Amino acid sequence: MENLDEHFEKYLSEFQPRRPRALPEPAIDRQIRLRRLAAAAAIAAALGASVWSGWKEQASQKAPDAANNRSAASREQTPRRTLSIMELTRLAVENPTDLDAALEAAQENRLPRFDRRDSALHVLAME
Amino acid sequence: MLNAEDVRVLYDKHGPALVAYACSFATDAAAAEDVVHQVFLRLLSAPVQTPDVPVAYVYRAVRNAALNARRNGQRDAPLDSNSSVFERGNGNREAALALQHALAELPEEQREVVVMRVWSGMTLEEVTAATAAPLNTVASRYRYALEKLREKLQPYRKK
Repeated sequence: MENLDEHFEKYLSEFQPRRPRALPEPAIDRQIRLRRLAAAAAIAAALGASVWSGWKEQASQKAPDAANNRSAASREQTPRRTLSIMELTRLAVENPTDLDAALEAAQENRLPRFDRRDSALHVLAME
Repeated sequence: MLNAEDVRVLYDKHGPALVAYACSFATDAAAAEDVVHQVFLRLLSAPVQTPDVPVAYVYRAVRNAALNARRNGQRDAPLDSNSSVFERGNGNREAALALQHALAELPEEQREVVVMRVWSGMTLEEVTAATAAPLNTVASRYRYALEKLREKLQPYRKK
């Protein structure tokens, strides 16, 4: 009897009921899309906030450095004033140490000429 | 609580069987399909608290909706002899229609058990859980249903 039932069950299962039309996707898709959009917006906001705060922090750290660098650069880039022969002579008379410093500073920019008669070194050498 | 994904899984697995089941209460296959579709659309739009066996809930919901539709005169037309809810691989339309009619003539309890078992792929234990009837009762209903269907479909099986 059970064998008979099994055969008949198999026969019955050869008949397939009509598959109902698909459930509408948009209702669910809209929900999913809204959730995804909200998640994307939240992620974008979080990323934006973190990038902005990082940038702000970096900028605030750089500001004093930049100011220091600028002042250092301006100190370095300020052209050393070229001393005239009269000033050099006065320095040589009044304060030879300052003369040495002034000459060392000047030689960074230009090498004084020794061969010219009116050059400071020539005059000093003569003295 | 059934979420949208659960509803879709139920629809994919039991939708065709539910259409066959609803066809016994509805006026034709198209009306049965409408009923099943509407029940699942309602489930999608408003999650409901279902019992432990969701399939039992949807069978009950489909049955009630089909009876309501019939009572309200929706698609109140005579059963279309060309509208079969079943299809068979070898295209035996007569046998498919005979099966549909034979199912409709079964007592409701027997029809429910045979549809759940054969087209929803449920075990007798699962049918027992879904129908809240004792296992012996379910097994008896199933056996009686098969006997009646076998008798009605005998002429078509020989073809």
